[in-house]
Amino acid sequence: MSAIWAEGLTKHFDEVRAVDGIDLDIAAGTIFGFLGQNGSGKTTTIRMLTTLLRPTAGRARVDGFDILDDARAVRNRIGVALQEAGLDDIQTGRELLTLQARLFGLRGGARRRRIEELLAIVDLEDAADRAVGTYSGGMKRRLDLAAALVHRPGVIFLDEPTTGLDPVSREGIWRYVNRLSVEDGITIFLTTQYLEEADRLAHDLAIIDEGRIIARGSPAEMKASIGTDVVTVEVEAPEALDHAAEVATAVPAVERVQIADGAAVVYVPDGARAVARIVIALDDAGIEVGNVSISRPSLDDVFLEATGHHLRVEEPAPVDGGAA
Amino acid sequence: MHSLSTIYFLTVRSLREAVRNPAQEVGNIFVPLFFFAVTVGSIGSIAADAFGIDNFTGFQVPVAILSAASSISASAGLGTITDIQRGYFDKLLLTPAPRSAIVLGRITADGVRSIIITGVIVIVGLIFRTGFDTGVLGVVLLLAGSFFFGMAYSGFNAAVALRTGSPQAAAAGGLLLFPLIFLSTAFAPKEVFADWLQLLATINPITYILEAQRSLIIEGWNWLDLLRGAAAIFGFGIASFTLTFLALRWRTS
Repeated sequence: MSAIWAEGLTKHFDEVRAVDGIDLDIAAGTIFGFLGQNGSGKTTTIRMLTTLLRPTAGRARVDGFDILDDARAVRNRIGVALQEAGLDDIQTGRELLTLQARLFGLRGGARRRRIEELLAIVDLEDAADRAVGTYSGGMKRRLDLAAALVHRPGVIFLDEPTTGLDPVSREGIWRYVNRLSVEDGITIFLTTQYLEEADRLAHDLAIIDEGRIIARGSPAEMKASIGTDVVTVEVEAPEALDHAAEVATAVPAVERVQIADGAAVVYVPDGARAVARIVIALDDAGIEVGNVSISRPSLDDVFLEATGHHLRVEEPAPVDGGAA
Repeated sequence: MHSLSTIYFLTVRSLREAVRNPAQEVGNIFVPLFFFAVTVGSIGSIAADAFGIDNFTGFQVPVAILSAASSISASAGLGTITDIQRGYFDKLLLTPAPRSAIVLGRITADGVRSIIITGVIVIVGLIFRTGFDTGVLGVVLLLAGSFFFGMAYSGFNAAVALRTGSPQAAAAGGLLLFPLIFLSTAFAPKEVFADWLQLLATINPITYILEAQRSLIIEGWNWLDLLRGAAAIFGFGIASFTLTFLALRWRTS
């Protein structure tokens, strides 16, 4: 059964097509990665699926319930941690979780036990009675995650859960997310602009660009679809880049060449063998070669192939992700 | 029942916020009391001769109460905007709680804060020998009126906060009451006004709310004044809640 299903989901803001007719079919119990750069439509999609925003067109169901006709039933079954940890600085962590639990109808001992359990899961037992305003960025993200889990949802939406966090805090969040999937069988819809995050966590992945899904599959399938090594060639004179691409295209065994971010990206079945031939051909053509690198296909290459440009990550001001 | 429990939980949360931010509450009470003292001190002694009002201190108590309610509601509008900007408002919208109840929680808290602040002003008034002609029952009725007026006026600020999400607009929304107070019988009875001001005061609902409150403090039981005051608060509430729910619908669509 699909945990999340959508058909032609669309959202326009005046003339802007933020989300432009996307289809989704996400199996229960999987981690679904939604990869795209800022402004690609990830957050708008999450806001529609979580009933915060009405679609302009299209239909969607979450855990079997229609997001428009059964919005309250959807909200009962989902947990959501949005990009900015939506917390109240004046309450303590425990008060915030208590209020959240009450609004989801948890009462008495069951509520208290669940809150203690969650505080332990996200390592916030010692800080539970401090005002949220005194928490570090990493602690706030963990508290936000706990708040999303308070009612044991079947589906969780995490909107860029690690953006702005330091590597240690990021690793911690990844550990929690994996645990939710493996131990609790929760379906996780995760948006991210980090390729590594998508690669590490997602069982199933979609790349969104300018409001449209442009690639879909598991990270391994996507990389396999490129099927070749990637040789990236920089040239000393930027104006020679187009000529360099033409020359490289003519080298035997080269499958295709793309120009991106001031370099020629050459796809070949065997990079180690081809790189010498490519460099020689460029040299013969009078093109001065700069850096050359060979790599196995990455999700960035998948992104490049699908969109014609690399994924540009826009980092917000770093938040203090300290663990205490 | 779920709506009522949601309103209760969110009212408690907003009151807790007020308790943990006492400086704001001190400001809310200090400014109205300051103007109350200055007004009574400056023209109180001539009010009997000029306006025929013997108990001008009692006459001014309702003005302080409405000004305080205005301050409370303005800060509540800012609280809603803080929730929106921090993303906490979204967090609340993502629960199965009825969305109207989420907004009503903070509005109800403003009503409760209005009761508390009215109680303080009444005590200050009693210290200044205003007396209270309708006794304990009158005090209870005055507090109840303050509760409902506080809620009604808070609705306007909630509407501005939800529609604009702008702290500046919310602060400006809190000032809506001041022109209405000055165009009412806040400082003198209608009879001494110029014709145009008399007309404005007659159609101004604040006039009837002030007169109802005054009747409890300095006149004794005047059911017609009380009825008019209740109707004015009710009308205020209908208008403000309509705007609030329209703004909420806009924000969530």
